[in-house]
Amino acid sequence: MAPSTLFLSILVLAVAAYVIGRKRSYSVVGGARKLRELHSRPTYYGMLTALGCGIPALLILGIWQAFEETVITRLITAGLPENIRTLPESRLNLIINDVKNLVSGNIVSKEVDPAMQAAADHYTRLQSISHASMAVVCLVLGIMAIAIIRKIITPKLRARNAVETVTKIILVACSSIAIFTTLGIVLSVLFEAIRFFKAVAVTEFLFGLQWSPQMAIRADQVGSSGAFGAVPVFAGTLMISAIAMTVAVPVGLMSAIYLSEYATSKVRAAAKPLMEILAGIPTVVYGFFAALTVAPVIRDSGGLMGLDVSSESALAAGVVMGIMIIPFVSSLSDDVINAVPQVLRDGAYGLGATRSETIRNVVIPAALPGIVGSILLAVSRAIGETMIVVMAAGLAANLTANPLQTVTTVTVQIVTLLVGDQEFDSPKTLAAFALGLVLFVATLFLNIIALHVVRKYREQYE
Amino acid sequence: MNNEANQPAKRSNPGGLRVDRENRETVGEPFIEDPRMTCRNVDVFYGDKHAIINVSLDIGKNEVISMIGPSGCGKSTFIRCLNRMNDTIDTCRVRGQIKLDGRDIYDESIDVVPLRAQVGMVFQKPNPFPKSIYQNVAYGPRIHGLAQSKEELDEIVETSLRKAGLWDEVKDRLDQPGTALSGGQQQRLCIARAIAVSPEIILMDEPCSALDPIATARIENLIDELRHNYTIAIVTHSMQQASRVSQRTAYFHLGDLIEIGPTEIIFTNPKHQLTEDYITGRFG
Repeated sequence: MAPSTLFLSILVLAVAAYVIGRKRSYSVVGGARKLRELHSRPTYYGMLTALGCGIPALLILGIWQAFEETVITRLITAGLPENIRTLPESRLNLIINDVKNLVSGNIVSKEVDPAMQAAADHYTRLQSISHASMAVVCLVLGIMAIAIIRKIITPKLRARNAVETVTKIILVACSSIAIFTTLGIVLSVLFEAIRFFKAVAVTEFLFGLQWSPQMAIRADQVGSSGAFGAVPVFAGTLMISAIAMTVAVPVGLMSAIYLSEYATSKVRAAAKPLMEILAGIPTVVYGFFAALTVAPVIRDSGGLMGLDVSSESALAAGVVMGIMIIPFVSSLSDDVINAVPQVLRDGAYGLGATRSETIRNVVIPAALPGIVGSILLAVSRAIGETMIVVMAAGLAANLTANPLQTVTTVTVQIVTLLVGDQEFDSPKTLAAFALGLVLFVATLFLNIIALHVVRKYREQYE
Repeated sequence: MNNEANQPAKRSNPGGLRVDRENRETVGEPFIEDPRMTCRNVDVFYGDKHAIINVSLDIGKNEVISMIGPSGCGKSTFIRCLNRMNDTIDTCRVRGQIKLDGRDIYDESIDVVPLRAQVGMVFQKPNPFPKSIYQNVAYGPRIHGLAQSKEELDEIVETSLRKAGLWDEVKDRLDQPGTALSGGQQQRLCIARAIAVSPEIILMDEPCSALDPIATARIENLIDELRHNYTIAIVTHSMQQASRVSQRTAYFHLGDLIEIGPTEIIFTNPKHQLTEDYITGRFG
C-alpha cells in the first residue's frame, strides 16, 4: 500500500473510530435518556477514540517515512559488489543515485550494468516489503487502539479533559514551530557569520569604509581587492529607508486621519481597499516604475536645476519605496485611530474643542502605540526591501550623504553576493551572512527602542 | 403645541383623573418665567427615524431639570441638542428652535465651539482623557485661552477640582493619569473638566449609571451644590435620583414629551396616565 493510500486509510479508520467511540458511550450508560450519567458528552468519547486511533498510527507513518530511505539505502550499499562498495563516498553517492533513478524509471542513456539492475530490483523489493509492513503496523495499531479505548470507555472516563489536553499539546506544537524556526535561522546565520569573522576582522567589517567584496580565487588573479567594510552599505540602507519614511509617514498618517476622522463612511469604504491595493502590487513592478519613470524624471529635473544626478539615485528608490509602504502606515493607523473610543472624542467636543484639536490632543495620543507599531512595520519593510533598490538604486557602494548619488543597500549586496556560481566557504559568500546578522541585530534594537518609547509615552485609555 | 393647548387638559383633570394613554400632547408646565434656554417645536431625525417629536420646554436659571423616561425615549438625544453634540452624528438632523439667552443656537452665526464651552457636558461613562489629572482639567481652559499664565491655570485647575469635590483626594497626585482613578473619582474629574471652561449650563447624560451607590451619592450632593452657580439638565434612569436632585422633571415617551412640571408634582400627582405608569413601575 502506498503511503498516501495508507494515510487516507488511517483517516477513514479515525472517522470510524469516532463513530464507534460515540456509540459505545451511549451503550455504556444505557441510552440517550441516561446521558447525564456520562462524565463527558458522547462526542468527546468519539473524539478520544479517533485521536487514540489516528495519532499513534500517523506518528508511526511519519517516522517510518522519514527513516525508510536511509535504511533501504544502507541495505542496498551492503548488497553491492565489493569493488563498488569500496569507492570513495562521493562516487558511491553517484551510483546510489543511479540506482534510485533506475527504480523511479528515469531514462538512463547508457547500457545498464547488471549489478546496478540487480541493486535496483533489490531496492524495489525492499521498498514494497517496507510499505506493506508499514501498512500492517499502522492499521493494526489503529484497530488495537480502537478496541482498547472502546474497552475503557466507562461513564466515569474523563474524556473531555483528555481530548482537551491533546488539543492543547497540538496548539503548543504549532506555536513552537514558528519559534524554533526563528531560532534556527538566527543560529545558522550566526554560525556562518562567525566563520566570516574568522577571515575578516569584526572591526574591519563594522567600521571599514571600503566595500568591494571581489576576492581573488587564484593567487595570480588581479583587480580583486576584497575589502569588507560594511559602513557604506549600511549608510545606503539607512539613507534609502529614511527617504522612504519621510515620504510614507506623513502621507500615510494624514490619509489615515482623513479616512478615520473626516471621511464619510461611504468614502472610507471605497478608499481604504483602494489604498490597500498599493500594498498588493508586486515590488518588482515598483522596481521598474522607479527605474524607468521616477529616476529619469528626477535626473532631468535635477539637470534643469544644474544638479549632477546619477541615473540610479537613492532618491528615486527611496521615494518609490515610500509610496509602496504608505498603505502599511495608513491602513494600520486608520484601524487604531478608529479603535479610540467615541466617548473620548465626545469628551473633547463637549469641552468645546474643535475637530483638529480633538484629533491632535486626544485621538492621536490615545492611538500612539498603534501608530508607532505601524511605522515600525513600515520601517522593517523598508529595510528589508530588495527589488526596488536593485533596480533603481544601483550596486556601487558609495559612502555619500547625497541622495542624488548611486548607493547600495544591505539587501542588494546580499543578493549580489549569493547570485551565480560561488564557493560556499569564501569570505565573499560568508559576508552575506554577516550582513544579514547585523541587519537582524539592527532591526531587533529598533524594535526594543520603539517598544520602550511606546511604553513610556503611551496615554492608555481604560 | 403651546401653553394654551395644555390648559384645557389640565382643567378637565381635577380629581386624580388622568390624561388617556393615547394622548401625546404635553401636559404640565413646560414654560416658566425668565428662562435660560427655550426650546420650541424641536424635532430630531436619525436618517428616517423620528427620534424627538415636536418638543417644547424651558430651562430656568439655577435649576436642575431632570429628564426621565424608558430607554430609547429620546431624552439623551434631546439634551445632546442643547449643545449641538448631535452635530457629530452624520445622519442626525435637528428642526425647530433652541435659544440660549434669546439667541438661536442653531443659527448660522453661532459657532459650536464657544457654544459648547458655554453649555458643558458630562457623559454616561466617565471618559477622562488618557492624560494626567492636571492635564485633564487644564485641557479646556488651555484650548480656550482662559489662562494667561501658569499660575492662572493652576488656580483654575484647583478651583475646578475643589468645586467637583475631588481636590482633597487628588491634590498630591495631579501628575498621575486620570484613568487610574476610581469610577466615581473619574466622573467627578469629568465634572471638574467641564466646570474648568466656566460653562453656564451643564448637561449630564446619566452621570451615575456606571457608579456604585456611594459614588452616586457624592455626585448627587455635588449636583445640588453646583445648582447655585450653574443651570443643570440631567438625564437619569433612576427616578429616586430625579426626585432627589431636580426641581423640575420632564417625562419622555417614544420621542414625545409627555409631561413636565415641578418634580414633587410629577412624582406625587402625575396628570398623564403614561407618567403614572412609568413612575409606579408598571411600564419601562
